[in-house]
Amino acid sequence: MSDQKHPLWYRVNSALLPEFEGKKVRLPCKPIKQTANGWIVQAPDGGEVNVTFFQDQLRADSFFEVFGNVVNGTTVKMLKASDLENDLDMTLVDDAIKLMHDQRFRGIFSP
Amino acid sequence: MVNLSTGICARLQTAEQTDLDLFDGEHILQLLSVKHVGAGNSTTGAVERYRIILSDGEYFLQAMLATQLNGLFQDNSIQKNTIVKVTKMTCNFVQGKRLLIVLALDVVEHVDQKIGNPASYPTPTQEVPATTTNDMDAVPSAPVQQASTSSSHQTTSTAPTAQTAQRRPAANGNRPIYPIEGLSPYQNNWTIKARVTQKSDIKTYSNQKGEGQLFNVTLMDDTGEIRATGFNQVVTALYERLVVGKVYYISGARVNIAKKQFSHLNNEYELGLEKNTSVEECLDTDNLPTIKYNFVALSDLESQPKDSTCDIIGLVQAVGDVTEITTKTNNKKVTKRELTLVDRSEYSVRLTLWGKQAEEFSSPDSVLACKGVKVSDFGGRSLSVFSSSTMVINPDIQEAHTLRGWYDNQGKDVTYSAHQSSGGGAGGGGGGGFVRKEVRSLGDVKSSQLGQGDRNDFFCSQATVVFMKPDSMWYPACQKPDCNKKVVGDDAGWRCEKCDQSWPQPQYRYIMTLACSDYSGQAWLQGFNDVGDMIFGKTADEMFAIKEDSEIKFTELVQAATCEPYNFLCRARTDHYNGQPRVRYGISRIQKLDYKEEAKYLRDMLMSPWGQTAVAVAV
Repeated sequence: MSDQKHPLWYRVNSALLPEFEGKKVRLPCKPIKQTANGWIVQAPDGGEVNVTFFQDQLRADSFFEVFGNVVNGTTVKMLKASDLENDLDMTLVDDAIKLMHDQRFRGIFSP
Repeated sequence: MVNLSTGICARLQTAEQTDLDLFDGEHILQLLSVKHVGAGNSTTGAVERYRIILSDGEYFLQAMLATQLNGLFQDNSIQKNTIVKVTKMTCNFVQGKRLLIVLALDVVEHVDQKIGNPASYPTPTQEVPATTTNDMDAVPSAPVQQASTSSSHQTTSTAPTAQTAQRRPAANGNRPIYPIEGLSPYQNNWTIKARVTQKSDIKTYSNQKGEGQLFNVTLMDDTGEIRATGFNQVVTALYERLVVGKVYYISGARVNIAKKQFSHLNNEYELGLEKNTSVEECLDTDNLPTIKYNFVALSDLESQPKDSTCDIIGLVQAVGDVTEITTKTNNKKVTKRELTLVDRSEYSVRLTLWGKQAEEFSSPDSVLACKGVKVSDFGGRSLSVFSSSTMVINPDIQEAHTLRGWYDNQGKDVTYSAHQSSGGGAGGGGGGGFVRKEVRSLGDVKSSQLGQGDRNDFFCSQATVVFMKPDSMWYPACQKPDCNKKVVGDDAGWRCEKCDQSWPQPQYRYIMTLACSDYSGQAWLQGFNDVGDMIFGKTADEMFAIKEDSEIKFTELVQAATCEPYNFLCRARTDHYNGQPRVRYGISRIQKLDYKEEAKYLRDMLMSPWGQTAVAVAV
């Protein structure tokens, strides 16, 4: 499914961040509060993540998918964000993420 | 986060049975668990029962969920950790043990965590211990052993005092009152306190053994209803004594499995009244069971399956005359009368009364509450009373007053919609609605030979339209609303034979033959106007105009509409064409996919026991 030139961007929730430290991920989220150098967002499983932004702006009134590097278990350095608008069922997204990372199904989503 | 009604559980575990303020009050509680408790046998008609654990954050207690609320659990409105507002409960004592039943609740919100750290309330007596209870008080489970013995008096000595002091004295002595919901063939020493809500006429029959007579009554208490039947000598003994509307203490009847073909009640058992059945009129005037209704709004009738029973309340807007028809089956003459009922959902429906009830009805402009009326798909949706249905004119209940008030203020001016039978085939609403769980693959539909013989089989499918037959996608129809008959064009215009009218222009209506596929196979489905409207997003008139204008543009639109998936509710039946029988699949209902709902459904499948049996595959 992927090769060295195009690294996979796994979709994650806040609980999975420690596993992906140093890697690139996609985090669907709802921005909650703006901070000095970024935003605090809520991940699909309810956990809060610190997103430091670089280029694109987030807003509090819609869902976004943040693409970025995982700095540590609670921080993601954003490279790009994609606006997902308002109609998103985070529970469903979280369930999908959990299933994707489930040991039995991981093989479908990763090399 | 919503605040729970802390302290309520403690009160509920110690309250008297007469503490109506407590039982009818509104309490916010969290549902810690819902567990199915079954009779073990899954014979058809067995009603499911759910035991629930409610917490107020401080303590938790067990209760039963009344069967009328089962749907809430089955459709996942309530689940583990949901916060609910309990609006009505009842407390009964069964052999000295407190049995709480939740009769009505509203969902407040669903949360993921248990709130607080509720403990088991330290009453000496617990209900029949469920496996989920974390009993920290090491209760001597004496009541459990005693439950199996039939005597109801000896529990007083061993069950600790707190419970017995609160056992409600029945008017006729110390026998505890059983809830109708608790009746089963395994318990003998019960007494129920119930109201007779319906009594049939005395019917006579003759079979090989000779002649006989019987009658039925419907008994109702706060927890449910049950049918009781008496034969021969019992008829003479009890028929006159049981008066509709009065409350009686009844004991000593046989509990049998219900014969569903004779009863429409939602109870897996029924009572057989015998020589030794004791019936005593109840003279105390408090705590009397009232008729419980589970009203369906008239606009929701479409989702009630054909031939099911339901309760409705409506205002009688029109009263038809009494007519006489001859039944085809026995050639008997039967009188009937049709009423038109309306309600706040701004829908109207016809209700048919029969026989004496039809002849005697004379209450136009009244509010009618009916229980156990049959839903039929004649003309879309219509209702008919059974002999076991009850009908109350201007009942003294909240919904009736609300309906009356609404009608007097606004309802008179509302134009009511009626359920339509969708064009083409009769009874388009038949078969109920589309149910995602019941989706069958097209391959399965074909191999199950649905629609063979005389049957009209309904099925749900999810499939993609892969091809539409391009010629004759529509036909010219009569412009009169609801008359969808084909009109024939001549010099004078377009003529409708049924309405005897000519029109300068016809209204084009879709009639489509679609090849639809899913992973398992392909089938030809036939659709009418509503199908075309949804697939193209344009009326047949518009498509006709586009085609006349530009064939290319038309083809583009057809292409664009192809390869879209839909949810279908279809009817399979056998047609005879040129003498050959062929199974045809007609589309009763078509729906676009709601991807959120579809995703939820797939997620639920994956999380279900079936989904969890997946084996890891090494990639």
